[in-house]
Amino acid sequence: MENEILAKLGKAVKEYDAPGAAALAGQAMELGIEPSLALDALTESIREVGDAFATGELFLPELVGAAEAMEAAMPIVEKVIKQRGETRASAGKVIAGTVFGDIHNIGKTIFSTLLTADGFEVIDLGINVPAEKFVETVRLEQPAVVAMSALLTITAQEQRNVIEALTAAGLRDGLKVIVGGGAISQRFAESIGADGYAPTAPGGVSLTRELLQI
Amino acid sequence: MLKGFTRSYPPLHMLTAEQEASIHGGALYTMQKTGMQIEHQGALSLMAEAGCEVDFEAQRVRIPSWLIEECLRKVPSQFRLKARDPKQDLMVGGDSVYFMQGMGMRYIDLDTWETRPATGAEHRDAMIVADALPNIHLAEAWEIYTDRRNVPPVMGMLENLASGIRYSSKTQVAGNIKDTEIFAIEMAKAVGTDLFPEIEHACPLTIQEGGADAAFRYAEAGIPFVPALSVSSGATGPATLAGAVVLKIAETMAWVVMTQVHKPGAPMAIHHGISATDMRTGNKVLSTPSRGVGTAMMNQMLRVYGIPIWSNTGFASTSKKIDFQAGYEKSVGTLLSALTGGHVQMYQGGSSTELMYSPEMAVMEDDVAGWIGGVLEGPIFNEETLAIDLINEVGPIPGHYMGTAHTRKWWNKEDYFPQVADIEAYASWAATGKKDMLDNAKDKVAEILANHKPLPLSAGEDQALEGILVEARNHYRAKGMISDDEWALYMTELELTD
Repeated sequence: MENEILAKLGKAVKEYDAPGAAALAGQAMELGIEPSLALDALTESIREVGDAFATGELFLPELVGAAEAMEAAMPIVEKVIKQRGETRASAGKVIAGTVFGDIHNIGKTIFSTLLTADGFEVIDLGINVPAEKFVETVRLEQPAVVAMSALLTITAQEQRNVIEALTAAGLRDGLKVIVGGGAISQRFAESIGADGYAPTAPGGVSLTRELLQI
Repeated sequence: MLKGFTRSYPPLHMLTAEQEASIHGGALYTMQKTGMQIEHQGALSLMAEAGCEVDFEAQRVRIPSWLIEECLRKVPSQFRLKARDPKQDLMVGGDSVYFMQGMGMRYIDLDTWETRPATGAEHRDAMIVADALPNIHLAEAWEIYTDRRNVPPVMGMLENLASGIRYSSKTQVAGNIKDTEIFAIEMAKAVGTDLFPEIEHACPLTIQEGGADAAFRYAEAGIPFVPALSVSSGATGPATLAGAVVLKIAETMAWVVMTQVHKPGAPMAIHHGISATDMRTGNKVLSTPSRGVGTAMMNQMLRVYGIPIWSNTGFASTSKKIDFQAGYEKSVGTLLSALTGGHVQMYQGGSSTELMYSPEMAVMEDDVAGWIGGVLEGPIFNEETLAIDLINEVGPIPGHYMGTAHTRKWWNKEDYFPQVADIEAYASWAATGKKDMLDNAKDKVAEILANHKPLPLSAGEDQALEGILVEARNHYRAKGMISDDEWALYMTELELTD
């Protein structure tokens, strides 16, 4: 019974079935299945999809569909982990968002999805995220990495504001900050005091691994 | 007034009447069922008064079909765009087709194909070249070299627009970033020109506060405005062409209602461009046929509504060089857009998916615009051009047409002869340095910069323009949008350009 539900949960991710994944996660938790086993089933499936994406067998619609199914199931499992006073095992916690004034979603979403598929815990703050929101979330979640996106030259400056706000709040030490997006260059990243820059979403995943030495 | 080109035959149709009705119905339904997110309290109030169902907290407006139909009827199908030189005025709409300078963030080095921020002098030169080219009818000073060396981003549009107004007497495109349209409108008034501003739109189904403010401000100033409704298929819109067009038409309806209830009869156009998405990277792809097909569909729908059209089908290619790929990606789509009824084609000079602008490319593509214009104008058809008497007079060989009065009169009336495309015979080509089209374009740019003198501003106009720039620089510095370090670099850079 237990194995059957876990297998179905993993399958729901691979079939891009968000409502199904959420229902199965609920069922698994109700039956008292160990949350870490449910997490394993989810991450194993998303990794398989991620690998197939990397080899060109699957494409973004499949990758994002699988990630959305996983995201639908994850809070249900995490709730039980938290109730038990435990923490979720992951490659690292990353907060991602498109900065204030910028509503470009796609690149940041691809980056978040690839990271999730690579075993990271990603908190995606969405688009048009004010500096205060980054600061507040970093304080609360204590991530290893903050990743910011900006597509426009005009909004790229906002990445500087976020870094300054993190420094002012005393949260910059030990935190890695990375930037990306159409308007960003290595030189710009250095000029605003970021720890790294990547021109593409897969490059951002490699950069995250590199900075965390994993 | 600048005639541009006139399409002398009906636009090609891609959709059946039934398909048109399905798209229209789907868009009406979407506006009633889901509506538009409009992040502007003033707009929400106006639309509520006009009969929309408005959720002020969620900033959601559901629009009844009768109001959409009523507002669509209020949009003028043609409008005049006044340039600072009356000879460059345009009449947008109907069967006229104009070409607009393309766009691109950075200067490109044609030896290394590396891009970098442009200097003020490079921006000036690009505008002088655009001013000289016969088939650029609308100038795009704002969006060429948006990455200007040491110019703070918030001042980019205004510095570029001022440079464009100084070095070209053609009507200029403008936009909206952080309320900069307030200063852009002042500039236009100071030199007596209209602008053709594109207004930022957030896809899907969202109008942000800045976009609504800008549309209202331009409308109040009597300047036609253009919501920019681009979409990446499968990412910011449905993956299917029909679905993407339903979404874009629904958004068109929301923009039309919002702006026509604000100012009935306000002239406007719609800027559209449907792009495929590379599902390996998420990048926009400008080289697939869907871009042309989507353009044809949008052009047909907008013509049904009588809304003037700005098409960006050929505004850039995915290629990083000026090469065969750039040539086909940009020109084939632009031809299709012109044949299917697009009024303004954004075209000459931009490439590398908005990253580069090249005056040399603009020169080359001015030839392509001339070629497309020749196709649009079609044959001149009358008794004389039919040449029946002449054919019978000349008869068979050894008869010929070279020396006839008819040939002298007509040989260059229905055709466009390229300025820089290589049309030499092999022997003379080989003897004169084996130059290709790009080599010729480089020579042409040098020749234009040595000889072309754009219509100057009067001293008073120039002073007024500078005064507005100074006011804007100080305004954004006071608002903290230009740091002290940026300010120091900026001031030094401006001295270099002067």
